[in-house]
Amino acid sequence: MKNFFANLSTNKKFALIAFILGIIALFAGNPYGGGTIKVNEKELALSTINNSDKVTVTDLADWIIQGKADFELVDLRSQEKYNEYAIPNAQCIPIAQLPESDLLRNQKIIFYSDDDVAASQAWFIFKSKGYKGVYILDGGLNAWKEKVLFPKAPINAGKAELAKFEKAKEVSKYFGGQAQTDSTLSESKPSIQLPTSNVGTPKSGSTPPKKKKREGC
Amino acid sequence: MNAPFFKFDYFNTDVSLIFAFIIGIAFGIALERGGFGRATILAAQFYFTNMRVLKVMFTAIVTAMLGLFYLSVIGFLDLSLIYLTTTNMLPMVVGGLVAGVGFVIGGYCPGTSMVAVATGKIDAMVYVLGMMFGIFVFGEMFPSIESFFNSSEMGSVTLPQYFNMSYGLVVFLVVLMALGAFAAAEWGERKMAAKKSEANP
Repeated sequence: MKNFFANLSTNKKFALIAFILGIIALFAGNPYGGGTIKVNEKELALSTINNSDKVTVTDLADWIIQGKADFELVDLRSQEKYNEYAIPNAQCIPIAQLPESDLLRNQKIIFYSDDDVAASQAWFIFKSKGYKGVYILDGGLNAWKEKVLFPKAPINAGKAELAKFEKAKEVSKYFGGQAQTDSTLSESKPSIQLPTSNVGTPKSGSTPPKKKKREGC
Repeated sequence: MNAPFFKFDYFNTDVSLIFAFIIGIAFGIALERGGFGRATILAAQFYFTNMRVLKVMFTAIVTAMLGLFYLSVIGFLDLSLIYLTTTNMLPMVVGGLVAGVGFVIGGYCPGTSMVAVATGKIDAMVYVLGMMFGIFVFGEMFPSIESFFNSSEMGSVTLPQYFNMSYGLVVFLVVLMALGAFAAAEWGERKMAAKKSEANP
């Protein structure tokens, strides 16, 4: 056998190697990963402990106001709920349709749903599929409503907290919400109105999205 | 570390140009060493007297295919991030024929003409001038052929998707096709050589 291989010409040796690799390819599986996933337990656990996989709603609000566009914001709820209200610039991909989404492995992706649960599931699926930059919006849309759209005035607040609240008020105005001071609380509580969804209409003054890398030949 | 490096932002656009330069030089050397810097060899392919072009091209295809396939199977390379040109069947067939005719007449393709210019071939320099002129003409008449240029759009399709076969099977079939082509080319060359020695002994 060894002799047989040694006696072949270089061309034939390479041809034989190519043929063998071709046969192995028949059983080597799908290069696109197919349905199987690999999980790095330690890395996943560490990122959860460090909270490095979460984005707070106030950070996200700042990013949107600054016109940052280096991330994909994904709304995991149903299409109806998305139409009712969604965070500006979010795209709607219900969690069942995630496997067919065209999100790429090199993108920074932030998931949110009403609370943390669906976003965490999506986060786990994507992490285990080898996506690098996947994040959960901490507290989901509930936290967004509570802290960004309708922030409550702190009771018996110090100076620093009051200044923070003043900023929160401005932020909430930007997103069409309303800060809840004591007076407005009593007046308008029954009629808290969600701002109408303004998805797809980027605010003026925001920087255009990061230029896509040129490709092709 | 995962490939493709550029898409995962391991380096920026400026650095990518340096890599492109290095890879381009290496490509040129490979073409020259493969004998693609000589118009006679390239043109001989079309008369089936010298099958070197077919052999080199198929070797490159099979090597790249096996490399990409196995690197992505072991999870090093993310194939979904590799850019695929969209397929426009009819315009591509017409364009391929135009390029093929130019290939036979001029004796070079765009890449090999640059290699031949680098080694100082005068016919290649004229060829490059002609190519530039062709690019200019194409650019000028583009508005009138734009609808045809974009017709029969098929998206970014791959053979496994189009034929609905597994990737492994396509890899295997292409390897078989290449090995068959090599064998046929060798056989054909021997036949041609025998005929030639018969004609003028």
